This record gives sequence, C-alpha cells and structure tokens, in this order.
Amino acid sequence: MMAYWAFLKKELLESMRTYKTFVLMMIFIIFGILNPVMAKVMPELLEALLPEGMTITIEEPKALDSWMQFFKNGAQTGMIILTVVFSGLMAGELSKGTLINMLTKGLKRRTVILAKFTGALLQWTVAYGASFLITYGYTSYFFPPEQLPHLALAIMAMWVFGLILLALVIFGGLLFKNIYGALLTTGSAVLVMTLLSLFPKVKPYNPMTLVSDNVALLMGEAMARDMFSAMGVTILLTLGLLVLSMVDLIKITE
Amino acid sequence: MEVLRIRGLKKSFQGNQVIDGIDLSVDEGKIFGFIGQNGAGKTTTMKMILGLLKMDQGEILVCGEKVSFGETKTNAHVGYLPDVPEFYGYMTPMEYLRLCGEITGMEKKVLERRGVELLQLVGLGASKKKIRSFSRGMKQRLGIAQALLHEPKLLICDEPTSALDPMGRKEILEILLSLRGRTTVLFSTHILSDVERICDEVAVLHGGHIVLQGTLEELRKKHRKQGLVLEFSLAEELKMFQGMKELTPFTMEPEGKLRLVLLHEEMHLLQKAVYEALLSASLIPVKMELLEPTMENLFLEVVK
Repeated sequence: MMAYWAFLKKELLESMRTYKTFVLMMIFIIFGILNPVMAKVMPELLEALLPEGMTITIEEPKALDSWMQFFKNGAQTGMIILTVVFSGLMAGELSKGTLINMLTKGLKRRTVILAKFTGALLQWTVAYGASFLITYGYTSYFFPPEQLPHLALAIMAMWVFGLILLALVIFGGLLFKNIYGALLTTGSAVLVMTLLSLFPKVKPYNPMTLVSDNVALLMGEAMARDMFSAMGVTILLTLGLLVLSMVDLIKITE
Repeated sequence: MEVLRIRGLKKSFQGNQVIDGIDLSVDEGKIFGFIGQNGAGKTTTMKMILGLLKMDQGEILVCGEKVSFGETKTNAHVGYLPDVPEFYGYMTPMEYLRLCGEITGMEKKVLERRGVELLQLVGLGASKKKIRSFSRGMKQRLGIAQALLHEPKLLICDEPTSALDPMGRKEILEILLSLRGRTTVLFSTHILSDVERICDEVAVLHGGHIVLQGTLEELRKKHRKQGLVLEFSLAEELKMFQGMKELTPFTMEPEGKLRLVLLHEEMHLLQKAVYEALLSASLIPVKMELLEPTMENLFLEVVK
C-alpha cells in the first residue's frame, strides 16, 4: 500500500511539474467560462454578422444552449485534450526506461497501473468538475431557471467516457511502448465505437453513447435507461483494460 | 559466504543461444568483474539475476534464495545500476531517493538519514538541482546512490563507466572501490583497465560460456606466458636476431618490421638466451622491455 501511495504521489508531482495538470485545468476552466458566454452572445453575434437589411428570427438563448456548448466542447476538444495530455502515461515510462529502477525495487506491475490510472482519474475529475461547476454557476446567473431532465446523468456519462480513454492510453502505451502507439490504440478504439453507433441496436451498449446522446437526454429525446447500460458497459470495459494491463500478457521488461 | 550462485544458466533469443550453461559464484564483500565483448550476454545475465528476464534453464540464488521471474523477492538483497540509468528529470536527487525508499518500504527517518549519507558518498551533496540538468557522470553517481539506498548485499552495475569521460570513470571507480568489504559488487564491463583497477575476481563471458574465472593474480599466472619486447633500428637486424639458434625454444611474435615479442613460461631462461644472442651477434636493440601480462592480453588470448 505504501508503494501505491508513493507512486501515486510521484504521478501527481510529475503532472504538476510537467504542466500536464496546468494545461488540463486551464482548458477545462476556459471551456467552463466559454460555454455559457458563447450561448449568451451567440444570437447577438449572429445578428451582427448578418448582411444589412437581412433579418432572421433567433430564439432567446436558454440554459439548454449553455449545456449544449458544454457537451459539444467536452465531447470533441475536451476528449482529444484528455487523450493527448495523458498519452505518455505508460508509454513515456516504457520508452525512457524510467520504470526499470522502480521494478527492481519491488514495485509491482499492478501498483504501477493502478497508481497511474488513479492519478490521471483524479486530475480528470478535478478538471471536468471545475468545468461543470463554472458552467453551472454562469448558466444559473445568465439564464432563467429551466427544467432539464437527467442533467446529472448526462454529466456523469461524459465523465465515465473519460475513464475508458484513460484505460485505453495505458493499455496502448503498454502494448506499443511509445506515445504514438498509445494514441493510435485510443484513436482506433474511438473509431470502432463511432462506427458501432451507426447501428441503433448497439446504442445502449456503446460507450460512444456517453458523449453523443447527452443533449438528447436533456431534451427528453434519449432514454436514461440506454445511458445507464452504456455506462455499465464502459465501466466493465475500463476494468477489463486495466486488468489486461496488470497481468503479465504484455511484457514490460523483456 | 556466497552472495550469488548461478548454476547451468541458459537463455536464447529467437533461436540464438546467448547464454549456454554458465556457472558462477560470487563471495561476500568482493568486487567481481564480469567481462565480455559487446553482445556477449552480460546484461542478459544481470537481468536474469534481477528477475527481469525469464531464464530458459538453470538456477540463480541470491543470498541463498532462489530468483524467480517477475517481482522476485530476492531483489530486496540487490541494488541495480543500469548502464544508462534513467530518472524522473523533474525531481531533485533527494526526491528521487525518497521515492525509491518509500517503494522499498523504508522507514521515513532511516530513509532521510540514508539519503543524505549516500548523496554525500557519491558527491552530490545537498544538490537542489533537478535531475534533468545533470551530466551523465552525475546521473551515474545518483544511480549508485539509489542502488545502495536499501543497503543491499549485492550491487549489480551494468557497464557503469562505459559512457563516461575519464574523470567520470575515475569517480565511479573510486565509489565502487570504497564499497569493498561492505557490499558485494558484480560489475560488468568491456573496459579491461577498469577491471584491473578495482576487481578482486573476474569471469570472462564468451560464446555463452564462462571461459575464465579467478582472481587477477591467479589468471595472470595461469594463462599468460611472460615475455620481452625488443625493438631494432633496422629490419635486417631484426631478421638476423630472429634466426639465431639460441632463440629457437621460445615463441616469437613479430610486430611490424622492427619489433619482436618473445614469450616463455620461464622468464629467467628467456632473458639469459636473449642477452647471449644479442652479445654473440653484437646487436644492440633500441628498446627492450618486459611484457606485462595485462588483462587485455589475457582477454584477447582466451577469446581468440
């Protein structure tokens, strides 16, 4: 247990000193501010951009527009940033050989994987949580209260999708022992999930649902049940990837 | 007491037999030189001792305990310095030692005391610099400190001097020498002068086998003929000297057109014959010197 805490501490220190935490926090804080601001100013912006004499009717912005921005930014740029920031999580150690000293000191492989995953998970949770709280605060300030069904579930769903991305970069890094391999593995997995989302029957079991159906869920156009099952499958897949990374199937020293 | 014992160790990579049944024993407190050409299998053997590589056949015992592949308990007795140690560059040396100590489960007070002591020993003192700004030599010294942190019985150093400049090499060798009698050191290298400088005992690895093992003195006596090197000013003089009947019982190895190496087990017989031959032919060499049985000569002889 002592080794786990020591390695987790090292992971967090590494993220701070190599500015990973800073980058992640800054981007998600900026998103948090931009989401409601963009929703608020978008109609005025569109109006200003229209050619003189032309008029269109733009609805008064609502809280839903702010959350639409939140899920759009989170699902696209947010997930890419998360993957890139943590792409060297395992691959960096293996390509540089920094882990050899630790392993000869009795550090167990499962401790390494667990500490790396929890370290990244903590940072993802804090950055995503900050983005959510800021968006929530400004949305409440700018827009009149609105009844949005399943907001907590939609927020939770995107957070869970972040977990599978973290497990994928660890697994990919272990498999290819370089950052490109980690990114390729994650990118390929996301591509497969995107292709699977073309089949409506697979939707309730596809992790992609967690980042594609959030707005539909808020508008009452998607079912909470489907989101719950997709979350269950994603958590199981994440655990599976972590277990695969912990067992000795992929050699890390030979 | 034996700190390390290897019996019938074998390892191959894709059909290539790198280690082919080696037997080795290292006694406590000794500095043991593990010599071999690049690719001879020194690192492979060391990684098997550390449980980082799976052995195909054989047995390795560290302090009487059997080594197993992956997460071996015997590593509690072993400190390891890789050839090019890699560290977390954003840490200071003390932070790195703290991490290593916490992983090995050392008590906080002991860890702090030991960390300061070791950084002093390796000449890094209270350096607050980040490791990323360290030179190769400094990294190698920090590597020794981390390897010695948990007071291991056996320190394994994989070519610790091969990438260093003469000053860095000297520093590392002095640190290793200071461990004599306290920690057993298994030290792999292909720099034979380093071996002669610090090792008590050596083993030469060649073709997957240990072809030579013993103390330096034993090996010099056992394997190398003693000799004389003569240099003449003219090639004709050398030719004339080579043809003298007094020298027929001795091995002669010409080196170029002007130099000749004469070898024999009995040095006094060789010297007597050489002086007699020079006198009878009225030849005066420009240079005459004793051939020292160096580790290099010995190595070249056994791997020939």
